[in-house]
Amino acid sequence: MPRMSQATASIRKPHGATMSVVGPDHPAADAGKTLEVRDLNHTYNVNGKTTQALKDIAFNVSAGRFLSIVGPSGCGKSSLLMMLAGLLTPSDGTIAVGGRPLTKPDPTRVGVVFQDASLFPWLTARRNVEFPLFLRGVDKAVRREKAEEALALVGLERFADSLPHELSGGMKQRVSIARGLVQDPPILLMDEPFAALDEQTRITMGDELLRIWEKARKTIVFVTHGLSEAIYLSDEVLVLSGRPGRILDRVVIDLPRPRSLEMMAQPRFAELREAIWHMIKA
Amino acid sequence: MATRDAVLGYGAAGAVFLALWEAAPRLGWIDGRLLPPFSDVVAALGAMAATATFWQQVQLTLLETLTAFVIALPVGALLGVLVQESRFASLVFKPLIFFVFSIPKSIFLPIFILILGIAFWQKVAFGIFSTVFIVMMTTFSAVESVREDQLRVARSLDASTMQKILFVYLPSMTPVLLEAVRVAMIFNFTGILLAEMYASREGIGNAIGVWGLGFQIKELLAMVLFVSVLAIGFNEAIRYVEAKCEHWRN
Repeated sequence: MPRMSQATASIRKPHGATMSVVGPDHPAADAGKTLEVRDLNHTYNVNGKTTQALKDIAFNVSAGRFLSIVGPSGCGKSSLLMMLAGLLTPSDGTIAVGGRPLTKPDPTRVGVVFQDASLFPWLTARRNVEFPLFLRGVDKAVRREKAEEALALVGLERFADSLPHELSGGMKQRVSIARGLVQDPPILLMDEPFAALDEQTRITMGDELLRIWEKARKTIVFVTHGLSEAIYLSDEVLVLSGRPGRILDRVVIDLPRPRSLEMMAQPRFAELREAIWHMIKA
Repeated sequence: MATRDAVLGYGAAGAVFLALWEAAPRLGWIDGRLLPPFSDVVAALGAMAATATFWQQVQLTLLETLTAFVIALPVGALLGVLVQESRFASLVFKPLIFFVFSIPKSIFLPIFILILGIAFWQKVAFGIFSTVFIVMMTTFSAVESVREDQLRVARSLDASTMQKILFVYLPSMTPVLLEAVRVAMIFNFTGILLAEMYASREGIGNAIGVWGLGFQIKELLAMVLFVSVLAIGFNEAIRYVEAKCEHWRN
């Protein structure tokens, strides 16, 4: 199994600086924090009929990268993400995080943000963010401190005592991101996190996510069916085919950072979008 | 403010009702022997409340009600969860529970008396029997109200089964379970009072039955008033808590 052996300095520059985009084989800044997926296949049975959902999926994600997974509906991209979260066991193949196999959920290695913020409505924003630590029996004072740090990171420190029903859709999703990050996992998985939001909030949340990503220096794996969203946010886009989902290509997004909305009007953006669209359509 | 207007509205409606109750027998619109004026009933209640017998009766009935309740509620809730969570039990027992629920429970009262006599535990048993089915049925919907996505979050956080039950299932089910508590108490109280009225030597139900047969309308209505206040008080208290967690439902 090929392993990243060469460690280099951080590839991320401080917020505001532009950065030339590196290819997918660029060595990780911290080889211990990569995600490795090997020979993954998945089939499931419904009423005696066997369906292949994913076929020969193999990829690595280097530390600190922003990778999106796109593909037609039903291509298994959400199932793939659930496997990366340890919530679904693949029929075949291995997933490793930080060099160690992942066979069940481990929120210290992988944080997950779901499509619906899925906050517990009976807990305040702070208590929701504390919840993962609470389950592990972390001391109350530590819990509170970490939760407040995470809420500050997503810009919601002033809403720590609000209940979820008092927050807007975008704010709820930010709380959910804080909950995913509170145990400081190297990887954050996001399953169409902005799909339920309105267009304007979705765009704002994209920029907000990029800001959080720059600051928290996490590896993000982001599942979406929005091609523009994927291109706008990512370093690389993994394109899956229709069922059974196979990797069609891994597209490097060579747009400079920080990204801005004007880039969406640039020819390069349209080119990338067109290229990915053709792959999926075929 | 809307709530203040509503409270004023209730108050006004209540005042009109009581004024009519007071005036109707006094002005001869209604036979005073069948409906004594409100003030007379209140006076009768005051006189009753000064006697030890009254409080003995109340104490006994409340003890029966409470005993039946603290047994029926957890048993019903537990059975409800077990049946709802098991595919097999759902298929087999749910229709049966729905069948039994639709039968008026009062027709079984003579059987309870034949088996258990007319003392304390017969009342309690009948109270439990009257209550447990509605608790089970409400629990079915309580379990269904637990959201799949919230359970998935708990799983993604590697929560143990016990943690899931305590910190996801239970709080998630609370609004519906509170409704179960409220409705169950109505069924439970009705069962106990009915059992007391039908065959008993003591308790509130017995007193109401005896006064009815003896045409002691004032005392009867005084007790009706007392029981009503008690029942409404409990119901409203639970409703208040329910309203507090209404936003948990979605």
